[in-house]
Amino acid sequence: MASGFSDAESSTLTSVLDEIIPPSRDGKLPGAGELGLVDYIADAVEKSPDLKPAILEGLSTLQDLSGGRSSDGFSALSKNEKAELLKELATTSPAFLPGLTYQTYLGYYQHPRVLEGLGIPGRPPHPKGYELEVGDLGLLDPVRARPKRYREC
Amino acid sequence: MPDEVVDVLIVGSGAAGAALAWSLADTRMKIVCLEQGDWMDPAKYPTTAMDWQLRGFGDMGLSPNGRGRPEDYPINDSESPIHVSNFNAVGGSTILYAAHFPRFHPADFKVRTLDGIADDWPIDYRLLEPYYDENARMMGVAGLEGDPAYPPKKPTLPPVPLGKLGETLGRGFNKLGWHWWPSDSAIATREYEGRAPCINLGPCITGCAQGAKASTDVTYWPVAVRRGVELWTRCRVREITVDENGMADGVLYYDAEGVERKQKAEVVVVACNGVGTPRLLLNSVSSHFPDGIANRSGLVGKNLMFHPYAMVMGLFDEPLEGYKGPTGCCIMSQEFYETDPSRGFLRGYTMETLRGMAPLSTALWGMSSGQLSSGEGHHESYQQLWDRTAGMVVICEDLPEECNQVTLDPELEDGNGIPSPKIDYRLSENSKKMLEHCVARGKEVLEAAGARKTYAEAPLGVAGWHLMGTARMGTDPQKSVVNEWGRCHDVKNLFIIDGSIFVTAAGVNPTNTIQALSLYIADKIKQNLANLFD
Repeated sequence: MASGFSDAESSTLTSVLDEIIPPSRDGKLPGAGELGLVDYIADAVEKSPDLKPAILEGLSTLQDLSGGRSSDGFSALSKNEKAELLKELATTSPAFLPGLTYQTYLGYYQHPRVLEGLGIPGRPPHPKGYELEVGDLGLLDPVRARPKRYREC
Repeated sequence: MPDEVVDVLIVGSGAAGAALAWSLADTRMKIVCLEQGDWMDPAKYPTTAMDWQLRGFGDMGLSPNGRGRPEDYPINDSESPIHVSNFNAVGGSTILYAAHFPRFHPADFKVRTLDGIADDWPIDYRLLEPYYDENARMMGVAGLEGDPAYPPKKPTLPPVPLGKLGETLGRGFNKLGWHWWPSDSAIATREYEGRAPCINLGPCITGCAQGAKASTDVTYWPVAVRRGVELWTRCRVREITVDENGMADGVLYYDAEGVERKQKAEVVVVACNGVGTPRLLLNSVSSHFPDGIANRSGLVGKNLMFHPYAMVMGLFDEPLEGYKGPTGCCIMSQEFYETDPSRGFLRGYTMETLRGMAPLSTALWGMSSGQLSSGEGHHESYQQLWDRTAGMVVICEDLPEECNQVTLDPELEDGNGIPSPKIDYRLSENSKKMLEHCVARGKEVLEAAGARKTYAEAPLGVAGWHLMGTARMGTDPQKSVVNEWGRCHDVKNLFIIDGSIFVTAAGVNPTNTIQALSLYIADKIKQNLANLFD
């Protein structure tokens, strides 16, 4: 319960997060569930009175729907079964996936491992900053060759 | 100092207040500045922490209505397609500005004479030129000499790096034979006057942790304070008070504990921006000024000008390293700046290229535009967007219209119970045509640079960055609020020095001109000290 979700909810949520953002095929980027974003989502849910009921209700519905297919819950289902249930959930709990997807993106694209996977340092910009080429100012030669562009007055 | 009368009392410590305070400091007068915000701590700016991408939407966001900082005042801008952006702290909105730092053109001061619309300014470029130069020394302006769009001027620092993104877009402009030039930027590109050099952090618009960006808390204020100017923070001014002769005699303000206090002054200077200044004047009601102080013309709050902005973005095939470098400062184009009536509108605009998006912004933009899928294919669709965006904001000249105005909201108040401003603003037909034109030209140049897809938003709703015209300058007291050197026609010891006094808006960012005007007005005050109120 460290995250504020029950163990069963955490397990289901982790699987759902990996469905929203699965690991990349080249292995450079982790899945959102594997990244441990459950705690981030729990924090976001606690801070957002609008989001909380939608997420809790969605998880509950998903656990119920999964129970009919596997005693081990949503995470034990096949890829296709998970996709089917999430599609069904989009009808029965329409606020669940959009709200969760948005929060997942927020957590995922701020994570150091993801930044590194994208090829940028997994740290805040300051204090190290970034190197940037001055660039070729010779590209301005045609502009320099043109007459003045302002009106004298 | 409840009973002490200070010589000069400045309200607001932003771009204008800081410059004037610094300039007047050499008079050895007793100068006090009241600022409703506090000193910022750059070590706490977003780029120092892992949540740097998100805080620009939160406590360091552009809108005072969304930030929720106690020093902010709410603004009712529901009747405007453009929403006000500002910041309340020592340094004012320079804390969050992009530091794009162009000058006005000479023609911008002669709009009526040259183009037959709006009004001429009572001053001109040549008069302001030495103050632009002085401001460049104080703020530190990076740029490149030789821009054919301007009279000769000497930047104080080397230009900001073009990077791969700037080169790519520059080639696009060249392909079309259009003007472009590295942007004049108030950014220390090398160590300058104790400020560390820019290290290309990216989001300048959430505060510069490096101190390279020239916000006035790191430029004018440290010098002004060393020279004896007193800067009192967390002091929110409610109204300017007048004596029995209708002269300003000080202000009523609330201190950090919310206690109402009076500060007397010989001269009051208002520097609260194009929305905060009319708000303060309209809240300063007395028997001498039943419609607000200095408002006998009825023009306080009228003629509000924003700059209508368009944003035009392109998606490129190659990575552009766009997450590096000053967000808003790269290159600019004034190909369409001067009036050409054949375009269907008068006056013109500047294209200001932007760096690319950070990882999170890329995801959120992809989500909202329907280009980013979740589930299988997520990473492939993300890679189509990540570090492939480049584009521009286009800053269109607005024209003064009395129907665009700042008034007092009958219900909304700040934390001290002071009535808040209400904005009524609509886009003119001229602005609509200009926006349409600039979106088409923006897409054209991005395609010439290699964009495979383009996107546009116009007007850009969040772009109420520039607040001008609401206490305009002029020689006729019936048609203006202040004279040609910022002194109110109706109250000869009351000065206004911010963007409120602009007669027209030009098609460039106003901060450099606000500060040049402020330095000029300070000089006029010094020159006229012996007979300042005559």
